[in-house]
Amino acid sequence: MVQKKETGARGKRRPRRRRSKIVLPAAPLKLDRFQEEAIAALLDGYTVLVAAPTGTGKTLIAEKLLEHILAAGKGAVYTSPIKALSNQKYRDFGRLFGPERVGLITGDLSINEKAPLLVMTTEIFRNWCFANPGELEHTSHVIFDEMHYLDDPERGTAWEESIIFAPPHMKILGLSATVPNIQEISSWMAEVRGEVVKVIEERCRAVPLEISWIAPGGDVLDEEEAREEIAERQEIRRWRRHRWNDMMAAGQEELDY
Amino acid sequence: MAAIFSSPTCVEVIEAIQDHLPALYFAFSRGRTELLAEELGREWDFLTPGEKRSVRWMIQEAEENNPGLFGPRRQNLRRLLLQGIGYHHAGLSPLLKDLVERLYESRLVYVLFCTETFAVGVNFPAASTVFDACRKWDGQEFRPLLNREFFQMAGRAGRRGYDPVGRVFVRIDERFPEQTGFYREDEVEPVRGRLTISPNTVLSLLHWKTDAEIRRLLEKNLSVYQSNKESRQLRQEVQRLEEKAAELARCFCSDRGQPCCELYRVKLRKELNQLKKSKHRNRADSKLRLQEIQILLQKGRKKCRYKVCLDAAKKARRLEERIHLLHKRLKQLEKHSRDYVREFENVWSLLEKLGYVQGRELLPRGKFALYVHVQEILVTELVFSGIILESPPAEATAILAGVDYQPGRDEQVTPPPFSLDRVEELRRFLLQSGVPEYFCVWSPLPAALAAAWYEGASFEQLLGMTNLQEGDIFSILRREIDLLRQIERAAGEDRALARLARELRRRLDRDEVAVVGV
Repeated sequence: MVQKKETGARGKRRPRRRRSKIVLPAAPLKLDRFQEEAIAALLDGYTVLVAAPTGTGKTLIAEKLLEHILAAGKGAVYTSPIKALSNQKYRDFGRLFGPERVGLITGDLSINEKAPLLVMTTEIFRNWCFANPGELEHTSHVIFDEMHYLDDPERGTAWEESIIFAPPHMKILGLSATVPNIQEISSWMAEVRGEVVKVIEERCRAVPLEISWIAPGGDVLDEEEAREEIAERQEIRRWRRHRWNDMMAAGQEELDY
Repeated sequence: MAAIFSSPTCVEVIEAIQDHLPALYFAFSRGRTELLAEELGREWDFLTPGEKRSVRWMIQEAEENNPGLFGPRRQNLRRLLLQGIGYHHAGLSPLLKDLVERLYESRLVYVLFCTETFAVGVNFPAASTVFDACRKWDGQEFRPLLNREFFQMAGRAGRRGYDPVGRVFVRIDERFPEQTGFYREDEVEPVRGRLTISPNTVLSLLHWKTDAEIRRLLEKNLSVYQSNKESRQLRQEVQRLEEKAAELARCFCSDRGQPCCELYRVKLRKELNQLKKSKHRNRADSKLRLQEIQILLQKGRKKCRYKVCLDAAKKARRLEERIHLLHKRLKQLEKHSRDYVREFENVWSLLEKLGYVQGRELLPRGKFALYVHVQEILVTELVFSGIILESPPAEATAILAGVDYQPGRDEQVTPPPFSLDRVEELRRFLLQSGVPEYFCVWSPLPAALAAAWYEGASFEQLLGMTNLQEGDIFSILRREIDLLRQIERAAGEDRALARLARELRRRLDRDEVAVVGV
């Protein structure tokens, strides 16, 4: 740590800084247990649901699967709930697998749509399942990213129609945040698609979270302190309202005289 | 003293967490992200001279590729970025969002004020996340965040291999202290099925799917699966409890309900006490009943081990209460579980009435609507009524821009120099014909913007016509490009229509609007 509240050129506050810059280590090369399990199940030809908190490395599972599919000369579809995410994945995959092997199809845009790996919005995939399932003949897998969007009032329908009507030869990799009823969703998928669905769950965060509350003035409080602070604040508000009412009543009396 | 009656300002918050930067500071309105960024920028500067040089260089490079990147409205963002502060929301143009994201990834943004969308899928972890508030406007009302929503955002805290813990900070709001959030990851809400039946769903099913496949969607979708499962479980539970109740009933002898049975006597004594206390105790009928009970109680009690019966009766009462609750929930489920078969049939018969289908056969309107995925009926009628082909192209562009548009509060655009009465008339007619409101959503608001862009106006001129933000204008035009692609596909053999759709799309898909950040 260096000095506190160092003043900048224009008289602005500057943050304390660590003396040496720590360099971010490269991502760990060894896969986590749940990642390995998921990849193994996928390579065995199962439809797989992976539920894990953000930042634990769900994407890595998708990337490993795509590597295998492309190496085998097959095709895959990657869908995401929102367009911005589709664009980002298109860039990422292009960097990873070579731009000539990746295409992007959203409602208002289509790039390299004959590529073996197609990034699309769930709506477009749903449309293909209805209108041109023939196009998906050589596509072995569909990846649904952020699958808990099933719950979204606006987007949910496209997800359900996709899961129910994706051609039977296609296997699904669903990536989801941890939700309590992932088993229920998997048994529903198993029933509606008539196939075995494996669930791989990881509840542990790669980096644990620590939640604190910040009170006026900038004090950092733990949960108990925060609850006390809030109770006190409500008490003050009640008291002020009370006093206000009293004052109003007193004022009224004066008027009555 | 002032602190006692005010919420922590973002300056105070950042002061408190300055050892845990970079931070994503989540706020629930665009305006608020900008306001907070300004507030912080008045007091803080996070960058060293070396970092400032890097930022300046990245900004310059982006501006060379896209002159006018910051436009007249975002000069404050440029100034803030040079202090290591940024904001990010859907109102920004995609290019500017992209620049902010790249600066963030290059660790040149120390505090990023952002909206919820920053937390969806895209991998931008930070040392800490801050919640300006825990309630959001969900389009209808202010409501507290769900556990799932909270952790979708909170979970961005903590960079793997770098931070030992991810720190999440919730601001205590003085105005709504009771709405300060306390969330638990083990209480994340379960995912529920949300299928809805649109005209396109019905047309697609009729055209491409077999009866068996249609049944599969209507009878086996997630929502039906979930409510069936719950009612099955509830019914089993009811049965189990009823069996238990029947078993309990076997304790009672045939004298139950007679004056000699202690169970009955307890009840009578209770009634007696109540009658004595009641304010009506002097009324004639009360007096009569009092006497009646006293006579009954004077008869002797049967000699038996009545305690067993008392216990059993108590248990039976509890069981009955529980069974009653289960029945209530079952009724609720029955009422709320959606009857998709009926919904499907309702939309189907509407489509039949409007001349889209005849039985399972798609008529020309139906075949057209099959390729339209937004406001299918309205779009089809705009085309089949001739409005689109007969209007001058700029007006057709203006009309289509309003499809599915729901204006927010205080949104303003200068009115277009032509009338949109024909569209209003058509909508009135559709509503009268029984088309529900949500199947013909349209607004005249974006009309003038789309027409001007079609006629070659610059993006800056568009900004001068409205108080909408760059990102909004951009998404109005991109959505219209999407719709025009659908119309072109739907046009099929109708060469004139396909040509028009292609031509409109070509004219819209230019300059700033053509850059989609891939």
